[in-house]
Amino acid sequence: MKVLAAIATREFASMFRLPIGWVVMALYLLLTGVVFAAVTLRPGDPASLRGLFTLSDWLLMFVAPAISMRLLSDEWRQGSIEPLMTAPISDWQIVIGKYVGAALFLLSLLAPTLVYVAVLEALSSPDYGPILAGYLGLLLTGMVYLALGIVCSALTSSQVVAFLTTIFALLILRIGTTMGAAALGAPWDSLLFPLSIDIRMLDFARGIIDTRHIVVMLAACAWLVTIAVSIVESRRWR
Amino acid sequence: MIEVADIHKSFGKVKAVRGVTFTASPGEALGILGPNGAGKTTTIRMITGWLPPTSGSVTVDGLDSVDQSMAVRRRLGYLPETTPLYPEMRVKQYLDYRGRLYRLSRSQRKAAIDHRIDQCALTAVRDRRIGELSKGYKQRVGLASALLHDPPILILDEPTSGLDPSQIAESRNLIRELAQTKAVLLSSHILPEVEKACDRVIVIAQGEVRAEATMTDLMTSRQHTIELKADPTAALPAINAIKGVASIKPSPLESGWTRFTVEATNSGGDLREALGALALTNSWPVRELSIKSTGLETLFANAVEGVQ
Repeated sequence: MKVLAAIATREFASMFRLPIGWVVMALYLLLTGVVFAAVTLRPGDPASLRGLFTLSDWLLMFVAPAISMRLLSDEWRQGSIEPLMTAPISDWQIVIGKYVGAALFLLSLLAPTLVYVAVLEALSSPDYGPILAGYLGLLLTGMVYLALGIVCSALTSSQVVAFLTTIFALLILRIGTTMGAAALGAPWDSLLFPLSIDIRMLDFARGIIDTRHIVVMLAACAWLVTIAVSIVESRRWR
Repeated sequence: MIEVADIHKSFGKVKAVRGVTFTASPGEALGILGPNGAGKTTTIRMITGWLPPTSGSVTVDGLDSVDQSMAVRRRLGYLPETTPLYPEMRVKQYLDYRGRLYRLSRSQRKAAIDHRIDQCALTAVRDRRIGELSKGYKQRVGLASALLHDPPILILDEPTSGLDPSQIAESRNLIRELAQTKAVLLSSHILPEVEKACDRVIVIAQGEVRAEATMTDLMTSRQHTIELKADPTAALPAINAIKGVASIKPSPLESGWTRFTVEATNSGGDLREALGALALTNSWPVRELSIKSTGLETLFANAVEGVQ
């Protein structure tokens, strides 16, 4: 556990030691800030953050891959995976530690947006139920994206390739499980719709906390991280 | 104590290591020599557990490197050839991180980091970003991180590649100091470096151990060269009769001259006087009579013969 924490904190801190962390955070906050000011803060509109959540859901498709791309691919490229994997720690601890570090960065990315909540509170009386649900949904969506990202990052020693394959995989996931599913019709749609992450996010943004969504998204994270561990393990046996 | 028993490693069809066997004990520095691509790094990686052997076994203090990998890894300090570090971290941050990976407590880490920073002469750069450091400093950061948990066994893959001569001398002294109490295994293809830093060497070529010798052996074994104008069929048995001769290799030269390369037995010592006397009594003209200690160079050259 202490080792896992050591890896997670190093990963988290390195996001702030490298330009990538600051760039991602600046872009995300700029875009959500613009949307908040232009769309949410309109006189007469309800005091809700739905616009922010819908936009963030899209932005996460680019933000999450940018966070996850270096997690493992940079270790392969620099060779720093060798002293890591010859230290007395398991491959599980390495991958989960890195994943937790990335998730912590996601949290610190979302944290400044609480300012928008404070602005709403100052101007009106927002309903905190949907806001809470929205944040939960964003966090879960981001965690699924990061889990997919760490799989892509484990497969290549190039950060760029990891970034692009993650975005590509997310696009396929997104389009395939919504428009694609609708176009294919029965019986494929009943198979593909449940795989959709953004349909579930839509529910969260509306203020619905459905435990099925939570279970499915957490299970997706666990499943993807397990795949990433297997990929790391397999490198040892090549 | 490292025991490497008949390890093999194949990458697809390429057999990188073919049956390497050796041991290394605490209090000794063992050098692994070999030309580039001989299988030194692969052998080292099988000891550290980074690569599992295709067959054969590596045991460290009686623990198997595959089945009891965690216990083995705790006993090893390893510096890979390329010294991979995280450039964005500061020296102290990195060492602290490595200490946490080896489960050292906060106070243990503080003491260990201070000690190794001092030992590896890193005081001046302790708060610098690793990415800004010179190659020599990076190498020392890597060495300090490998030593943090005070491992009984230290494995260094080409520890002096890319260092300048004074840095090489410093790191050699440090290796000698560490080898007082630890088993130090270091690979290199630079002969003088190994000659000065190690107590014993093995030479690996084409994935096999071709030669093994202690430095003391290499100091005592001697090779004589005598060039005579004589009939080899008469000279050969006469030289062979000299006390202390282990082997003779005649090689015919131009216009009746023959060079005899005479190896002395370990107790044979200097045979020049006897060889000279023999030539004199037989009235064989002599144009060269010399002795050299068959150092590492000969051992290496003989071992890798036909490889390059």
